[in-house]
Amino acid sequence: MAAIDPAARRKAAPAAPATGTRSSALLAAALALPGAIPAALAQTAPDAGVFELKYLDYRDWQPGADRMTVKSPSFYVLKPLSDTLALEAALVYDSMSGASPLYFNTLSGASGQGVTDYRTAGDVKVTRYFDGAAVSAGGAVSSERDYLSRAFSLDARVSTADRNRTYAFGFGGSADVINSVNGVAENQHRNTLEFMVGVTQALSADAIVQSNLTWSYGHGYYSDPYKPLDTRPDERRIFAWLTRYNRHLPDTDATLRLSYRFLHDSFGSTSNTLEAAWLQPLPAGWSAAPSIRYYTQSAASFYQNPPFPAGYSPGQFYTADTRLAAFGAFTVGVTLAKALPDGWSANLRLDFYRQRSDWRVGGDGSPDIEPFSARWILLGIAKTF
Amino acid sequence: MPPARAVLPLRRACGAIVGALALAAAGCASFQPPQPWEKGTLARPEMQFDPDPLEARIQQHIYTSKEAATGGYGVGGGGCGCN
Repeated sequence: MAAIDPAARRKAAPAAPATGTRSSALLAAALALPGAIPAALAQTAPDAGVFELKYLDYRDWQPGADRMTVKSPSFYVLKPLSDTLALEAALVYDSMSGASPLYFNTLSGASGQGVTDYRTAGDVKVTRYFDGAAVSAGGAVSSERDYLSRAFSLDARVSTADRNRTYAFGFGGSADVINSVNGVAENQHRNTLEFMVGVTQALSADAIVQSNLTWSYGHGYYSDPYKPLDTRPDERRIFAWLTRYNRHLPDTDATLRLSYRFLHDSFGSTSNTLEAAWLQPLPAGWSAAPSIRYYTQSAASFYQNPPFPAGYSPGQFYTADTRLAAFGAFTVGVTLAKALPDGWSANLRLDFYRQRSDWRVGGDGSPDIEPFSARWILLGIAKTF
Repeated sequence: MPPARAVLPLRRACGAIVGALALAAAGCASFQPPQPWEKGTLARPEMQFDPDPLEARIQQHIYTSKEAATGGYGVGGGGCGCN
């Protein structure tokens, strides 16, 4: 869960005339949830609520075979409770069906037996605002037939007197229980603790940067019970460094959004993620935001190349899960949004994703794995109240 | 566990962070933080880092279920059987 601070709306109101244009106001209404703004700098309670409904249609495939299909409605609400208190809640329901890999590109559904599963996830967060600071406490639950996760989070944000810099501190944890339907994992546990520190700095009237460091330590069951011979370490440490930069370009009223994440985990995998998006306001309340993402990862130290089960040795860590192989991936996407009367807005996002082992940068990709593709469509309507 | 293999990338990461902080410190001398009356643009939704929290959750869930990397965007989201 992102450290969300739905605060900037009130702050925006008195300051907006400096740059406010008709198109930017419409963009503001259409492309984002005005009340649901994570405040990079402001620590002020929101003065309006917002709710949003989304519907996700997701599908993925490999050459010659469809894999998973996911249909997922979701709901989000932000409600100010007082001048200094705000509540956020979200609910997601995933319905999944299709085939997932047993090992490498060999699918579980190839015999005609598809996989079906459901996931219901919800989270709640309460934020209390002070002068120049905010503190949040949250809880989350995610439930599947074979997996239950319960999590909590505590966040604090403190701004400097000029409100141009905000320090963020986060602490969270989760307790998960795994009961695979095939009986391989019975009442297995996984517990995780996470720590985050971050800083957000306004560089100028048109540019802002944020950099966060996150550490996570987990202990328990990490193997995939549905993949034969899959044997993973019973602890996982993750280090992530995320830096994001937003720049408004007054000449075109557009906004450039850049992000970079470095991540290393104790499974031996290191990844780099670069994202860029260009938000362009258009006439009549429309806006368009094309985006591109590049991701590259090295393989986990215990990933073994095909053929299955080469490299397996009883008692040693082993996986043939291609998600832990070495590969690169591109996503291209576009969001179209439209501001509607009475506080309503609608948005449509399309993404196309492809993984290929030869797209890895910084080393060779894992041999003999098929390209993997996915596309998803995300439709949303929102209203402020 | 692969301690020897794990240490090298972590060292690289620390080196990258130190380098970035040095660059940021050098940049501090030149950037001009806005005055209170110059913050209209920064307050616009598209200048926030997660303007649509629901979309951010969904996108991150998709990537987490298809890639080795997970995390970095906040704490307390909880796990799932997807990875």
